[in-house]
This record gives sequence, structure tokens and C-alpha cells, in this order.
Amino acid sequence: MKTKSKYNLTTLAFLLPWIITFIIFSAYPIIYSIAISFTDYSGLNPAMNFVGLKNYTALFKDEIFLKAMKNTLIFVVGTIPFTTIISILLAVLINSKMVKFKGLFKAGFFLPSVMSMVVISTIWRYIYSADGLLNHMLRMFGIEKSTGWLASPNTALLAIMIMDVWAAIGYYTIIFLSGLQSIPEELYESAAIDGASSSDAFFKITLPLIKPTLFFVIAINTIRSFQIFAEIFTMTGGGPLNSTQTIVHYLYITGFRQFKMGYASAMAYILVIIVLIITLIQQRALRSEY
Amino acid sequence: MNIKKTVLLIISFCLLIIFLFPLVIMIYTSFIPQGTMTNIVKDYYLNDFEAGYMSVIKRTITPLGNTDYSLVKESPTSTQSLKIESTGERNPGIKMIGATRDLRKVKTFNFWLKVETPNIENGYVRFEDVNGKFQDIPFKLGKTGQWEEIVINKKALDKDELNLKYVTGISVVLNNEEDASNVAFLIDDIKIYNQYPTLMNYVIVWTEDMFGRYIINSIIVSVTVVVANLLFSSMVAYAFARREFKGKNFLFALILATMMIPFQVTTIPIFILMKNLNLLDTYWALILPQLVTPFGIFILKQYIEQLPIEIEQAAVVDGAGPFAVFFRIVMPLSSPALAVMAINTFITTWNDLFMPLILTSSREMRTAQVGLALYQQLTQLQWPYLMSATTIVGLPIMIAFLIFQKQIISGITAGSVKG
Repeated sequence: MKTKSKYNLTTLAFLLPWIITFIIFSAYPIIYSIAISFTDYSGLNPAMNFVGLKNYTALFKDEIFLKAMKNTLIFVVGTIPFTTIISILLAVLINSKMVKFKGLFKAGFFLPSVMSMVVISTIWRYIYSADGLLNHMLRMFGIEKSTGWLASPNTALLAIMIMDVWAAIGYYTIIFLSGLQSIPEELYESAAIDGASSSDAFFKITLPLIKPTLFFVIAINTIRSFQIFAEIFTMTGGGPLNSTQTIVHYLYITGFRQFKMGYASAMAYILVIIVLIITLIQQRALRSEY
Repeated sequence: MNIKKTVLLIISFCLLIIFLFPLVIMIYTSFIPQGTMTNIVKDYYLNDFEAGYMSVIKRTITPLGNTDYSLVKESPTSTQSLKIESTGERNPGIKMIGATRDLRKVKTFNFWLKVETPNIENGYVRFEDVNGKFQDIPFKLGKTGQWEEIVINKKALDKDELNLKYVTGISVVLNNEEDASNVAFLIDDIKIYNQYPTLMNYVIVWTEDMFGRYIINSIIVSVTVVVANLLFSSMVAYAFARREFKGKNFLFALILATMMIPFQVTTIPIFILMKNLNLLDTYWALILPQLVTPFGIFILKQYIEQLPIEIEQAAVVDGAGPFAVFFRIVMPLSSPALAVMAINTFITTWNDLFMPLILTSSREMRTAQVGLALYQQLTQLQWPYLMSATTIVGLPIMIAFLIFQKQIISGITAGSVKG
């Protein structure tokens, strides 16, 4: 009996770092932010009044929030197909026996993905600026554009989306590559003997076999894209005219600039619900496949 | 077949080069003295006297002493120059005033001179800064009555003595040693040549815009977080991998769940907590929430599980306690996984913007990411400076990537297996 309790105490000692940080920095904040999402807490003074669902109902009347939701959805729907398709194709290209220097390509295409979003956004801000490289190149093709791409409400979000595709591709290519490498070589060999073309092999062998990876990539990319913040904060600050306002950036503005923390917490919970739904859909999709 | 291979290889290389072009742009622009990548300012005129309106010239150039000047149709390279005439003046000359000039990236200061009075052999250029300090750089003249280009090298200037960032006046003065009663000379094409390529952008951004401090902050935070995770996350991972306890599966599911939940939901309570503990704007606020990360636990648990358990059992038989087993056997055996965890944790912490942004407020506490993001909001955009700052913030990660490429990539693929 004594040895058993000693064993348990030792286990507890091993787990203690996680238990403490989990309670303080995960469990407690998650519960606390539900609580303050039903209040008018400002964050500046301790006054806190229960307001029920008012924050949540107000959100759906808040034009900037709705705009932020819409922009985030456009961002997600507009980037994910491109990121996914390009990274699959890149992974197939790097994985193909025809290509040498695999290590170099793998590292080269992956490099932007390890850089921070602030660094990447700053570089692209330069490219997109009025006298930047993009306008300069367009001028060489005879297209005159004198305004910056991030300065106009019509092009700002699109410009950020293009940058995001560029920055994200490498990461997902690596994941697809590891998926591709788990496909046994014999499958392709026997398909080739049966006279299948390479496009047949791609659609009938590769794609079905990397489906779990595909679901995983789409799910984590969707979750990540719903949380975009650094690129917006660095490049546009949500402007011009809120045309690049996103959920998390608006959360930052309301919570930490306007000090409406109750309101911002409600926004955070809407984000949690969205992420939860995506995770459930991914799990369901995986289960229905197998 | 071989042709197909070559073509494919060439296409891949071209793709890669286009793909990495933005990073090339960043590094390239950081060495430009002024302007942008497509419009590099290698040199510029302070005055070439071509657009000759005396009213404009009067605002930017003052005569020194009993001196007067006028425009004349004579020039070494173009059509007009400035003629300076003085009477009874020991040091006749002109002084360029008006805008303060930043001479830190200057290579040389050039102008053309033609002295019409005989027996004048020397002169000097005086640089005056905003504090009223000045320094004279002498130059020698050749033959009387001939145009010659005078080149003043920036190296002659003492940057400790003079504040080169704010130079308020540059004078060109002749020494009238023989006391000639009338001195006349012509000046033209006063021009500044910049250093190109220059490292000054880095020096300026590192020292004046505090990027040195930001980098140190980021190193302190990231290294502490990595060390803490090496110890704590591996302890927790060991418990999950090797020890039996109630609710193990549930707790592990909880760890995975915290990986999925958007961290923004925890930021407001963490902010309030840190504020109440008086830890806002300290390293603690940035380090404490990251002491144990789900990612670290996850990676290490997977690795420890597949270690051969016999070694640990043998150690227990030899009388080693659980902590001895963990520190002396499991930790050293897990070093490959610890390396994967360490480098990936380092990169994540280094690259994070959101948490340090809300948890710090003073300029001294900013991390590299916050510093870079806010730098471009507060100052007028000058791309060479901004790109040097970006390189300073991005380069450590690029170097880490080149060294630890294998570990970084295996960290990503290991994280994706759970899907």
C-alpha cells in the first residue's frame, strides 16, 4: 500500500509542471473568458456587470464584426484550395523519381514557412507598395498602376491572400511529402504494367491514398486561416475601410485598444465554436472514409 | 528520357528561384543606401545650378563674409555654374544651408571648382552639425583658371566628434593666404555619392532603433522557454509514456484538445492575470505560459514510447529510482526527440507576435517580432532600413533552419501523424 501511494506521488511529481500550467494558463482562462463574455468587463477597472447574451447579440449587429467575419471567410475559402492544390503538386514533383536534388527543393520551398508572419508581411508590404516591385513589373508589361496594392479596399485582401498562399505552401508540401512517401512503390509499378498513364496513377492511386493527409491539411489550414492576425496587423491594420479586418484582428482591437474585454471574449468564443465545427467535420469525414 | 529529366529539373529550379525571390529582395534592399530596389539612389546633387533661379539659390546658399555670387554660363559638365566674388576676404566661400542632411551613408562629397584668382592653393570644406560642432577637411587646388573636381572622402570625417545624422551646413571655403584684394571662383555640380552596397542600414537599425535590444529580448524569452520545455515537457511526456495512473487517456486527450483550441480565447484572461500579478511588461509574462507546451509533450511521448523498455527495467533492478531512470537514461536516449522539440519550440516562440504584443507595453521589453511590426507603424517608411530590420529579425531563423533542417521537418511531420 505504501509503495503504491509512493508510486502515485512520483507520477504526480512528473505530471506537476503540466498540471500547474494547464490549470493556470489553459483551464482557468478558458472558463474565465466564458464568464467575462457575459459581462461588460473593460479590463481597465474591476467593475463587472452581468449583461447576459448582450455581447453575443451585439456582435451580430456590429457591422465591423460582420465585415471581419465576411473577410475571414473570403480569406479561408479563397486561399485554401490554392494552397492545397499547389502543395500537392509540388510534393508530387519533388517526390517524383525524375527530380534530383530533392533535399534542396524540399528545403527551398519550405524556407518561407519557418519565417515569422511579421517578417514575411513586411517583405510583401514592400513588394506591394506604390513604388514597389509588383507595380514596377506591371509597368514593364505596360500596365500603369500608381497606387499601392494594400492602399485600395479592392485589392488589399486579395494581396494578403496571395502572400498567404506563398507563405503556407512549403509547410503543407512537407506534410504531403511524408504522406506520399508512405505509399508503397509497388502500387505504381503494377499500375504502369497495366498501362496506366501518370495522370491515372495520380488520380487513382496517389489521391485516394493521401486522403487522410488531405483532410488533415485542409482542417489545420482552415483553423489557422480563421486565426490570421500577424499579416493584418503588420500590413494594413485592418484597413483601408475595414476591407482587411479579420476576426482575430478585430478581437485585438476591441479587447486591447478599446478595452472592451467582455465583448472581445464573446468574439473569441465564436472563434472557438467555428474551430470546433471544423474539427468535428474533419473527424466525421475521416471516419466515413474508413 | 534524359531530356525530359533535364527540362523538369530546369523548371523546378526556375520555380524555386521565383519562389524564393521575396527573400532575395529583402536581403538585397538591406544593402541599398537610399531609395527602393528598382530605384537605387547611388548619388544625388546638392546643387547643379541648372535650374538657375537666384531666389531659390539664395534660400539654400549663403555667401561667407564680404562675398557675392551670381550664375554664369560656364560649366565643366553642363551649362551653368555659380560664380563667387569677394573683396578683402581672407576666407571667401559659400555655405549650403537649409535642410539638415544625413551623411552617415555618404562615401564622398564631390564638387567642381575653378579658381580665377592666382596664388590660391588651399581650401577646406566645413561640415557643421546640429550641435554647432564642426570639422574642416582641407583640400589642395591645382592650376589657376582650370576646372577640377574636388573629392572629399567621408573617412576624413570623425563620426565621434560630429553628429553625421544631422548635418546642418556644408561650406566650401578658400584660403586667401596672400591677401589678394579680389577673389573670384566658380563652383558647380555639388554632389553626394552614397556607399553602395552599404552596411550602415544594419548599424543604424541595430543601435538607433533598438533592434539589438529586441533581439536580446527574443533570445532571453525563447531560450528560457526551450530550456523549460526540455525539462518539464519531457517529464510530463515520460509520465504519459511509461507510468500508469488513473485518467491517463482522458488527460492526454485534454492535452491534444488544448492544441486545437484557438489560443486567442486564453489571451484576455492571461492578460488580466498578469496584470493582477504585476507581471505585465516583464519576461515572466512571456515565459510562464509557455513553460510546458502540448507540442513538446506530444513529440516526446511518442518517442519515449518506442524506446526499448528493457534498459529502464535493468536500471530499476540495479536500484535506480524513477528520477534517476528519467534523468540518467530516458533523457539521454531521447536526445534526438529533444532536439526536434527544442528547435521547433524555439522557432514558434521566436516567431510569435500576438502574446508578446499584448503582454508588453514598453519599448525596452518588445520582442523582435513586436519591434518589427511596430517599427513600421511609428516611423516613416524607408525601405532600406525596414528591410535591414526584417533581415535582422528573420536571419536567425534562416540560419537555424539551414543547420537544423532535418529536425524542423521531422517536427512538422511528427505533429501531423495524429491526424
